[in-house]
Amino acid sequence: MKRTWSLALLLLAACGIEPSAVEDSSEAPTGVAPGVTLYFLDEWGELRPQLRETGRLGTIAEAVGLLLTGAGHSGLRTEIAPSSVTRVVVTTTPEVVELAVPLTAGDVTPRGIDQIVCTALGVHVQSGGARTMKAQVRFVQPTPVSDVVRTCPLIR
Amino acid sequence: MSGPLWPRGLRSRLLVAFVVVTVLGAVVAAWSGAGTAGAALVASSEQRLTEALTGQIGAVTPGLAYPPDQGALERLRSAAGANTLVTYGSLRSADGVAADLVPDSLRTAVRTGNRMVTQRTTGGGEPWLLIGTPVMITAPDGARTPSGIEVYAARDLAGVEREIAGMARSAVVTAALTLPLAVLLALLAAGSVLRPVRDLRDTARRLAAGDLGARSNPRGADELADLTATVNEMAGSLQESMAALRRMQADARRFAADVSHELRTPLSTLTAVVEVLSMSADGMEPDARESAQLAITETRRLVTLVEELMEVSRFDAGTARLRVEDLDVAGAVRDCLRARGWSHRVELVAPGAVPARLDRRRVDVVVANLVGNALRHGEPPVRVVVAASGGEVLVEVTDSGPGLPEHVLPHVFDRFYKADAARTRTPDSGLGLALALENARLHGGDVEAGNRTGARGARFVLRLPRESGDR
Repeated sequence: MKRTWSLALLLLAACGIEPSAVEDSSEAPTGVAPGVTLYFLDEWGELRPQLRETGRLGTIAEAVGLLLTGAGHSGLRTEIAPSSVTRVVVTTTPEVVELAVPLTAGDVTPRGIDQIVCTALGVHVQSGGARTMKAQVRFVQPTPVSDVVRTCPLIR
Repeated sequence: MSGPLWPRGLRSRLLVAFVVVTVLGAVVAAWSGAGTAGAALVASSEQRLTEALTGQIGAVTPGLAYPPDQGALERLRSAAGANTLVTYGSLRSADGVAADLVPDSLRTAVRTGNRMVTQRTTGGGEPWLLIGTPVMITAPDGARTPSGIEVYAARDLAGVEREIAGMARSAVVTAALTLPLAVLLALLAAGSVLRPVRDLRDTARRLAAGDLGARSNPRGADELADLTATVNEMAGSLQESMAALRRMQADARRFAADVSHELRTPLSTLTAVVEVLSMSADGMEPDARESAQLAITETRRLVTLVEELMEVSRFDAGTARLRVEDLDVAGAVRDCLRARGWSHRVELVAPGAVPARLDRRRVDVVVANLVGNALRHGEPPVRVVVAASGGEVLVEVTDSGPGLPEHVLPHVFDRFYKADAARTRTPDSGLGLALALENARLHGGDVEAGNRTGARGARFVLRLPRESGDR
């Protein structure tokens, strides 16, 4: 009889929430960084990352806006035409980051577009996003170049 | 399980076993269902909480200054919700119970694992889910390094526990609902099994009580029906052999009665002839006289035997009748001894008159048989004690011979039983003690055979009721 009761108690106790040991759960969150990484070109026309120590990672729009202000006196150059307006509108869908830049297709070379794409996707990856993300650069006037979905040659 | 709690009846045992099995099955099914559902509920709650925390942290980290100052930690902590602890080196920002609940093991796991970890614990009687995670720095190429910022969050699981308790309760209720159903089914099953068994028991009881015509009606075609049919067959053959046995017994008795009856007439003639022979025996030659004496003795013995056989036949046929009268048992015993010329060989001890209502002739037969037996097979002194005890009259006959051997005792009253197979030519018929017992029983009394305690010799005790009704 004693055994029957202890069995019943065991059954009832098993229905509650039991304390557990430490269990592995998932990937840790990320997103902190001492600064933002922008992509410029060296003298051979190759993409070069450059860390701007802003004290934080910031958003994609901030990073691309910063890219548009130019390379400064770092020995690197940019193939994006200087513009007084640096405001970039970012729309993120599950597969594609859409970047509406205040430029025309004529203001950038293909390498310049790579600079924009790499900077945007770099911030995306650093803030915890997937490396398979693609980017689409939309220019102010209608052009077929706006519809191309791109990846960064450095981030694959 | 053989204690006083275990029921004895087949029905109760069947009932208890059925109910226990059914309820146990229902409980196990309900409990395992509730357990699985509960575990799934806990797992999904944990996943939801960790995903929410990852989202909350990930939403603010890109805007967070690095290396963080106290203000940045406060922002991260408020973004991560209540009951959260955020540390960076020696800086910390805490809210609610998180700081008290987080054990060192969780901190170690966070520091070394670089992954989000969880642990369930109890604090203040409530279940909590502790989530610990480092905040990582991801390089543009995807390499992850710990930033040194650690977030610990405690999430209340009381709501989940209430849901699980609710499920367990409904499982218990479900299991309890099977109880009356199980009892009903068990009663039906027990009834269908036990009714034929009860019928069979009643039949067996009637058979045992002597009603050989008792039969059960077999129903269906199961094992119990087979058993019933077998019992019926057994009762049938028992009835037949009993009838055959009774027939044979009756035939044998009738034969004995007929034989003794037929022998009586020629014996009367023979007796008369022998009487004449005995009167003229004195004038014979010694050889002839011896033969004549032998013939006289054997003829008298034959007459006694036939008379006793006829008496036995009357007992067997149930035609023996008592003729009771008022008599003094002590006087009757004294008359019996005197009539047979045994007065000087037997010591009679009687307290005076012992009045009773008995059949004088039959009492005389019993006493004569017991005393004659003692005189023939025992050794003197033979002693007869008459006593009254309550509603009974006791006549005790003892001798000082070798007594009755152990193997003889059960057969002393058997007809024609001879204790010593070699001594077949004793003068008694072998019916004396059997007749004594029959006569005592006819009175409603008894004769006991045994040995004297503390002395040599056999001891026979005749018990007779003082008031014998006419039988």
